[in-house]
Amino acid sequence: MAGLPLYVLLCSGEHEKVQMAAMIASVGAVSDRPVEVFVSMGALAIFAKAAPAEGRYHGGAFARLMREKGAPDALNLLHQGRELGELKVWACSMALDLHGWEVDDLVEGMFDGALGLTSFLSDAESGQLVTL
Amino acid sequence: MADQTLDVKGLNCPLPILRARKALKDMAPGATLEVLATDPGAVKDFAAFCRATGNELVASNVAGNVYSFVIKRAA
Repeated sequence: MAGLPLYVLLCSGEHEKVQMAAMIASVGAVSDRPVEVFVSMGALAIFAKAAPAEGRYHGGAFARLMREKGAPDALNLLHQGRELGELKVWACSMALDLHGWEVDDLVEGMFDGALGLTSFLSDAESGQLVTL
Repeated sequence: MADQTLDVKGLNCPLPILRARKALKDMAPGATLEVLATDPGAVKDFAAFCRATGNELVASNVAGNVYSFVIKRAA
């Protein structure tokens, strides 16, 4: 019994927002909702293969608190959502182009490919859109 | 007595739900999973999770600061 599809537009690379996007996407996926995440703007750099494991995320006081208390890693939450439910993650083709990257430059096993905003927005008409 | 027990005490949202989903995935339809959690949000979260997925929330209890749930896997 699939629920209403959930579309997450992740633009910010701020730790709090990436974490919330990963939480929404993973919980949605394991709650039998088809989920699609579109990663654009500053958020794409979080997913760079070359990003250092330490210091991948940037943020303020709450981000520090999450690190200190060992909050689950956002990328790991997304991986779990993909493993346990119907979760697709798309890289914004414009953001990829600005960085001069290919999908292969992004973390392994995370992305379903590159996508344009028009296509994502068109698909999102059939569900609920969350922007972070 | 549930067929399987999952201890997620000390874990915060959304890990209890993700772990429960993972455990249920490998269980047979009709089998029961007992979940032990300490996150107060888990009470409403597990009720919502079961509503959304069609799994049956057979029991929801609290003893001290430990919340326990019994979930019957949907057919």
